[in-house]
Amino acid sequence: MVGHLDADCFYVSAERVRHPDLVGKAVGVLGNNGACVIAKSYEMKAKGVKTGTPIWDAKVLCPDGVYVKRDFYWYEVLSRKMLDIVGSFFSPLEYYSIDEFFFRAIPINHGQTLAQAATAVRDHIRDVAGLPITIGIARTRTLAKLFSDTAKPFGAVAVTDRNHERELLARLPVTEISGIAGRRAARLAPYGIRTCLDLADADGKLVRQLLTKTGYELWLELNGRPVTPIRPARSPHKVLARGGSLMGNVDDPKLLWAWCVRHVERLIEELHYHNVRTDSLSVALAWKNGESTGGLCRLPCPSDRFDELLDAARVALRRAYLPDATATHMHVIAPELRRARGFQMSLFDPPNPKDKAVAAVKTAVNEKFGRFKIRSGTTLHLPAVYRDPANDFDICDVRGKVCF
Amino acid sequence: MISISAMYGERYASEMCTAVALSVSELPDSLIEEAGLEKRIHDRGGEKEVRFYWRASPTVLPVWWNGRLQIVRWGNRDRSERKIPATGWTWHESVKDGKWSALEAEPVVIPATYGFTDGVWYRVKQGMRGLIVLDRTEKPVVFMLCEPSTRYYRVMTRAEWMPVLVGEVI
Repeated sequence: MVGHLDADCFYVSAERVRHPDLVGKAVGVLGNNGACVIAKSYEMKAKGVKTGTPIWDAKVLCPDGVYVKRDFYWYEVLSRKMLDIVGSFFSPLEYYSIDEFFFRAIPINHGQTLAQAATAVRDHIRDVAGLPITIGIARTRTLAKLFSDTAKPFGAVAVTDRNHERELLARLPVTEISGIAGRRAARLAPYGIRTCLDLADADGKLVRQLLTKTGYELWLELNGRPVTPIRPARSPHKVLARGGSLMGNVDDPKLLWAWCVRHVERLIEELHYHNVRTDSLSVALAWKNGESTGGLCRLPCPSDRFDELLDAARVALRRAYLPDATATHMHVIAPELRRARGFQMSLFDPPNPKDKAVAAVKTAVNEKFGRFKIRSGTTLHLPAVYRDPANDFDICDVRGKVCF
Repeated sequence: MISISAMYGERYASEMCTAVALSVSELPDSLIEEAGLEKRIHDRGGEKEVRFYWRASPTVLPVWWNGRLQIVRWGNRDRSERKIPATGWTWHESVKDGKWSALEAEPVVIPATYGFTDGVWYRVKQGMRGLIVLDRTEKPVVFMLCEPSTRYYRVMTRAEWMPVLVGEVI
């Protein structure tokens, strides 16, 4: 049997752990720019505030709501604590996302049912970590996730009986399945497939025809046949990227370059952490007029060095750049990673011990005194970004998650 | 000619932090009674708090001063004091430039659980920084200390100025 643990409104719950006065209040956690609600308490949800609602709408819907700035560093601390607790009961355990885990579910005490085990672990996490969570246990991942989603908040269910399973599936619209949204549901509707049970009972060949292999695998899982195993470690990254919103509209090429350098520095941290180098570097830009552009620069040999990647980024950015346009988002991407043993060196690039030593000093200082304590002078064009310590750590910096 | 308010940095109230809320548990009952704060008690999610609005009359704020929590007049909204700026806020820069030295201003902490700017309540860890001066009857008057908003605060509240918070930056 597979267990699925999902923390209830995790970011809000994490804020309540350190600020207990927020318990019982309508609370919204705001995202990286302070513009949108990225997590809301059930009290705020009841007022009509949804994930993604802009603050200017949320304050009208919920005038007494309290808004909190996100702190992904703190959320990771609690996420790891929760992971440790669950890992002490169940193995293997998959760190699917910052607030969702999958695990092989077994009774934790002799004579205990799975439902009792789920309840015991849920209560233990609340007592030890202060976090409300919901656990669903079923025959496959898809079923476990479906049942935990419907048992929220603070639920603990184990659906081990096929009849019980069918009864629950009959109540759930097919869009409750993670991976089946509006367009896929529209493809199923003409065949009378509206509930999860309709989909489970449909012909597998038809499902494959309508929803391709991914949909067919969901169908198998709905019928109790496990497709995706529990992954205790995430598979190695094929691509690494860093980037996001430019915190407003940017039309000054100097500022665009400063952002690019910031993301190159963040990307290099990841390359070092995963012990990989990249064969090329690309820069993707999203523009205010809705257009997207990209530029790629190939490297003579795989690199993780700042000087080499900076040169490549300059070329890639120039290729992606649109004069007189306003950019809103940027990503710097290492699309072709090479593992440590497979580096093919160039005949004409001798080793550069001096640059290597400088990079090592930079890494050592930043590890000891804090991220970005030593950084490229080009990033001085972004004082607002570096003034706020909350920008030092983003959700993508939480490593080891399977989801992305 | 620059008016005294402009010199000390008056801004439209809508651009500023116009209210603070402090949990009732932080205020002694005797102080609530003495300062007549009962009417300002609000319930937020089952917990009672006292709200101090700039628009309320009398305009007051809680302040840690002389080693104890006191309820003090907030600014000079009614312009009853001629020598004190007709505002409730002042800039960090003005203080650094010594513009308050003639008034013998003292730094204080305004304890707060939540701050309120342009319709948005946000959580405050400890409180905000303020300045106290004495009026002509030797009664204290507090001003909230402000600094230019961080980008985050500006997006969140649409305000160009934010209160100087104790031990945190939003």
